[in-house]
Amino acid sequence: KFSNQSVGLIYSRCHSVIPPPRDNDEKEMLDRMLRVDHAGEYGANRIYAGQMAILRRSQTGPLIQEMWNQEKKHLERFNEILAENRVRPTALLPLWNIAGFVLGASTALLGKEGAMACTVAVEESITEHYNSQIRTLMEKDPERYTEFLQVIKEFRDDEMEHHDTGLEHDAESIPGYWLLKTAIQLGCKVAISVSQRI
Amino acid sequence: MAALVRALRAGHGAGRALRERPRVLAPQCVQKRTFHGAALRMQDESKCDKAASAAASANHHVHHNFQQVPTEDAVSEQTSDEGHRPSSSFQEQNGEQDEEYETEEQLQARILSAALQFVPVHGWSMEAIAAGAESLGLSSASTGMFSGAGDLVLHFIADCNSQLIQILAEQQKQVQLGQAEPKKTADFLKDAVETRLRMYAPYIETWPQAMSLLLLPQNIPEGLKLLSSLVDDMWYYAGDRSTDMNWYTKRAALTGIYNTTELVMVQDSSPDFQETWDFLHNRIQDVVNMANTAKQVQSTGEAVVQGLVGAAVTLKNLTGINQRR
Repeated sequence: KFSNQSVGLIYSRCHSVIPPPRDNDEKEMLDRMLRVDHAGEYGANRIYAGQMAILRRSQTGPLIQEMWNQEKKHLERFNEILAENRVRPTALLPLWNIAGFVLGASTALLGKEGAMACTVAVEESITEHYNSQIRTLMEKDPERYTEFLQVIKEFRDDEMEHHDTGLEHDAESIPGYWLLKTAIQLGCKVAISVSQRI
Repeated sequence: MAALVRALRAGHGAGRALRERPRVLAPQCVQKRTFHGAALRMQDESKCDKAASAAASANHHVHHNFQQVPTEDAVSEQTSDEGHRPSSSFQEQNGEQDEEYETEEQLQARILSAALQFVPVHGWSMEAIAAGAESLGLSSASTGMFSGAGDLVLHFIADCNSQLIQILAEQQKQVQLGQAEPKKTADFLKDAVETRLRMYAPYIETWPQAMSLLLLPQNIPEGLKLLSSLVDDMWYYAGDRSTDMNWYTKRAALTGIYNTTELVMVQDSSPDFQETWDFLHNRIQDVVNMANTAKQVQSTGEAVVQGLVGAAVTLKNLTGINQRR
């Protein structure tokens, strides 16, 4: 009895996030947005997993774990939204699985500062991406997408917080910070544009 | 008979002329309903044309010219009317107006649905579509709207798919209301595939022909789209909510099962396709077994990795590398 109720709750809650699509164009647009967001959160999870594999025992371990936990919640939320709206996940998940983990682990090998520089670069890209989605949705119809906008804004704020945390923990002190950051953000941009379609 | 063939051919030629003509006359007036109206007109003409040609059996050229002249008039009449018509029709929307102003897609769907009853006789062909159009009181020249017999097959498949969705949605509702027991995923999928394939049963004699039509290049994209949406719907109603690579593997597996079972079905001569359903049952069981094996392999793999990590840590401790910096 109880489980039935909770299933119903989840069901109704998810349905309110994305309005039922009016036409194919809107469905296509929302599908792309959800697909790339899901891929982004998935990749972020893998990056933190990679960092934790190296820095678990270090002093920054708990800090990274805390950020990772938030990313896990984000991913879970997108899993729900994708499933209820029948959105195809990106076919590149196995690639992001490996690439994310390798990126996280290799920057963590440079030390705590490397990991933080990676976090700053990635979270900045994700924040930018969420902001551009918010802009698009606001231009279209802010009333219609209220719930979805709320979700994205909440996540964006979390990502921004991670970004600031990274800066607070000496991300910029690593030699070649600018180069590392630019390279990672270029990768993020490619990943975002590819994950929308494939 | 010869007269009939000639009438059909003339009708067809005129139909082609019709399709091209409005573009020349008034490009902005090429509208869907123009054709519909003209097609209705065509029907009358081809009737009197049949009579005329039966009586006179004139030679082809004369006959052709005779046919085309009134058609042109009909079209120009229709197109010149276009300008002031729509406004009035939007205000008075009675049944007759709706009938006349149905879109081209709706008209096509109506013709194709009517054509299905002629498939056992004519096969999946333009003849069946023409017969369908005639049964609705339209000219056989309206086959000019279709790019080929593939349209008929695709329409039929889309129709079957939406029927299946209705059935599955109904089942889901009953489960939610507690009137029916939820099925196991394997059983659900087996029943869904069987229900879907049984829709081919009335046409099973001609279905291989339809399958070959689907393999024509122009029909492949649409055919694949219909297949993937069918499989996606089946998984959705089976309760699948995966958002990882399982999403792909599940759909790929079911697509394979569906296609192979379809191939078995068209060769099956057993009563009520019993062999097909046995085959289907076995294939689904294979996938279930494979999934279980994969799970076991995965858990074994995880255990092995844990063991290796443990061994590495022990080794490090023994050699003293593991001292904290």
